[in-house]
Amino acid sequence: MGTRVRTDTGAEGSSDASPGAAGTRALDLDKLFAARLQAARARPYLATALFALHTVESRQVPTMGVDRYWRCYVSPDFVDRTPVEELAGVWVHEVSHLLRDHHGRSDRFAKERGLTGPGERLRMNIAADCEINDDAFGDGLVKPEGVVDPAFLRLPEGQLMESYLLQFQLGAWTTEFAWLDCGSGADGLEREWELGPDGAHGLSEQERDAVRFRVAQGITGRPGSAPEGWKRWAEEAFHPPQPWRALLGAAVRSAASAPGAGEDYSYGRPSRRSAGVPGTVLPSLRRRPPHVSVIIDTSGSVSDTELGSALLEVAAISRAVGGRRDLVTVVPCDAAARIAHPLCKAEGIPLLGGGGTNLRAGFAKALRSHPRPDVIVVLTDGQTPWPGSRPPCRTVVGLFPRHHRRTSWDEDDPDYVPDSPPDWARVVQIG
Amino acid sequence: MPTCTPFAMPISLSNADAGAVANADAGADLDPTSQLDIAGDLLTLLRTTTTEPRPDTQLEALTLAVAADLPVLLWGEPGIGKTAALTQLAAALDLPLTTVIASVHEPSDFSGLPIVGDDPAEQGVPMAPPDWAVRLVRAGRGLLFLDELSTAPPAVQAALLRLVLERRIGSLQLPPGVRIVAAANPRSSAADGWELSPPLANRFVHLQWTHDHEVVVRGLGGTWPRATLPRLAPERLSEAVDFARRAVCALLAARPKLVHQLPNSESRRGGAWPSPRSWEMTLRLIAFATASGVSRDVLSLLVRGTVGDGPGLELLAGLDRLDLPDPETLLADPAGADLPQRGDLRQAVLDGVVAAVRARPERDRWNAAWALLVRALETGAPDLVVVPATTLASLRRDDWDVPAAIENLAGVVTLSRRADEAAARAKRATGARR
Repeated sequence: MGTRVRTDTGAEGSSDASPGAAGTRALDLDKLFAARLQAARARPYLATALFALHTVESRQVPTMGVDRYWRCYVSPDFVDRTPVEELAGVWVHEVSHLLRDHHGRSDRFAKERGLTGPGERLRMNIAADCEINDDAFGDGLVKPEGVVDPAFLRLPEGQLMESYLLQFQLGAWTTEFAWLDCGSGADGLEREWELGPDGAHGLSEQERDAVRFRVAQGITGRPGSAPEGWKRWAEEAFHPPQPWRALLGAAVRSAASAPGAGEDYSYGRPSRRSAGVPGTVLPSLRRRPPHVSVIIDTSGSVSDTELGSALLEVAAISRAVGGRRDLVTVVPCDAAARIAHPLCKAEGIPLLGGGGTNLRAGFAKALRSHPRPDVIVVLTDGQTPWPGSRPPCRTVVGLFPRHHRRTSWDEDDPDYVPDSPPDWARVVQIG
Repeated sequence: MPTCTPFAMPISLSNADAGAVANADAGADLDPTSQLDIAGDLLTLLRTTTTEPRPDTQLEALTLAVAADLPVLLWGEPGIGKTAALTQLAAALDLPLTTVIASVHEPSDFSGLPIVGDDPAEQGVPMAPPDWAVRLVRAGRGLLFLDELSTAPPAVQAALLRLVLERRIGSLQLPPGVRIVAAANPRSSAADGWELSPPLANRFVHLQWTHDHEVVVRGLGGTWPRATLPRLAPERLSEAVDFARRAVCALLAARPKLVHQLPNSESRRGGAWPSPRSWEMTLRLIAFATASGVSRDVLSLLVRGTVGDGPGLELLAGLDRLDLPDPETLLADPAGADLPQRGDLRQAVLDGVVAAVRARPERDRWNAAWALLVRALETGAPDLVVVPATTLASLRRDDWDVPAAIENLAGVVTLSRRADEAAARAKRATGARR
């Protein structure tokens, strides 16, 4: 059938460049595209991304590799010696690198930790492969020969590239991966065979975003067929989870400094400028430190570590917004609210409890205290009944995530699902 | 060799008779004035830098939004060159730049300072504007840069927002030739409780301002970038308005939910979100982008900064589709068809052609679609043609003859079969492994 695709032999002399290689065979495009068709049939939600890849024949790439401009470099010999069904798996593997933005994440990781050198990039490629390979194959796709997976590094499955990177070093058992090379699309390091940003048929940043967005939309629109890892990717592709410390801090700060609390202009005392404008009253800047009540869910379902870290965070934030230590009150609460403790009394607040949860009691206790709080911060895992009406002050909820809901937390009523936090509270996911 | 250390200089300057001391110290050939001259020379040398042309998408986006007379909010860490960018922008638009540091002002500086006259009960208390506002209004044009919005107290922010939204300072109305840009620190690094409420966030074009490592290093080395800023082409104006209206209306007609969506999660608060007002801003930005012919990357920054990431990306995807050839045009002239190179777009076009034939099945259109598929096969990857060809074959009526062009598609059938066989093998292999 001949070659119908314009392959940019971007590296036009690429066959001369590697004289020793058995690079005399032409690229078997029919085989390559049959594999892509099989991949698109096995993973229909990735079809857009698979078809958006631009194929470039290259005799320098060891197997197949991608660059960050969505070009896919293919070695003719590799296509020749690999069965179609394995090639389909390689297609999916390579496109996963691009969809999951491994090059951008590698660059950020390297920058944060000051990592340099090809060895580190190889580590990133391996970690990226681990993130992809634990759920990419099976279900109609054959795992290609010699791919890396977390089990090989004796690491648990289902983690992100960044966490794998923290868990292994290059060593004796990774030396056999030294040939492993998925191109700059996987680890951010430019390769000599790549066409670079100015080469033909690269995708611009906006086009890359558009392709990733379409794939993500396809997955969230028809969530049935995609595995869990891809669904999570689709949810977070354009809304990466933000650091909870910053979010909780912003929520508490804005609750504590909104009108009625914190620093603002007041007519309680005339401004010093009034002297220059006789006869008029100008407001002056006054500070009214906010009273913050922290309701802590001490029921058995929240761990001490979680509580400790979140409580420290709230104390630090409320000090930062001008709440003196004596203005921060802590109300431990499980099924019943305990005594409200001022934060200044002791370093350690007795977090009594451990039974079931009823935060309504905690709200009532906090609102009865004098002076009345300007802000209520609730730290809970959310498995509680919430007050039926909006409390008369701003509310921030720090929510500990609970993923494992297989066993019901209520033995008497296994079907009971707790309410989600109400609309009037600002909710921040912690951890 | 002079023995006078640079540290001795400020002392000799602050002190009237220290010149003699310095003279005695450094020798007769150096007096403080000449030291200052040398320092001036050194400063001049340090200031002498060259520029080089370099595309800068965020500066282009800022220029377009300012030209479109929309309030822009730059989010960026302190010290990354927001002011420098504003200086360059003011020079490019030929506008005098007025910088107001919001955090050192009182609310009455923006809402007007009360001046008591002879008889307040009779004549009222006029609210006098500050001098920079008077100068700005007198000039009739200018670029007003409100810096450090994030560290100003809430009351100052409230007064400033009136200035941004209603363009009023006290009793003064800013003339239309004045453009406003504000800057704020991101929430994570803001010391105070600065946060835009959703109605206010909705009125700004949010631009994330970041620095490019390479630009900074080269700039400190003596070469700063010079961006070629977008220019509006007068002959493209009406075409641009048409295109912008078509793009926004096509999306909103198909996705009514996108018209108005209050931000619901904590992480999206304070940013851009879609509403009729921000869609109107988007429409204006698309028209400006089209008339000036900037890249899609610039438009992407602007649109996502106006209606948010999700709706913005959907709009941009829609724009990509608007650029695709119309199926009816392709069916009318299959021989001269120009199909897009990119595989996913090409498949979208072919799917569109098949859908058009399905919508109005006629023999000529069916044959034309086959000719198009053959053309696609001759100019691009064969696997893209498989699904459209299968669907098109199923549309055949009994009295329609198989066109001769189908012969050319025999390879596609082989390819499809090959993929099927591979899938069967894969199924066996994965099934056995489990």
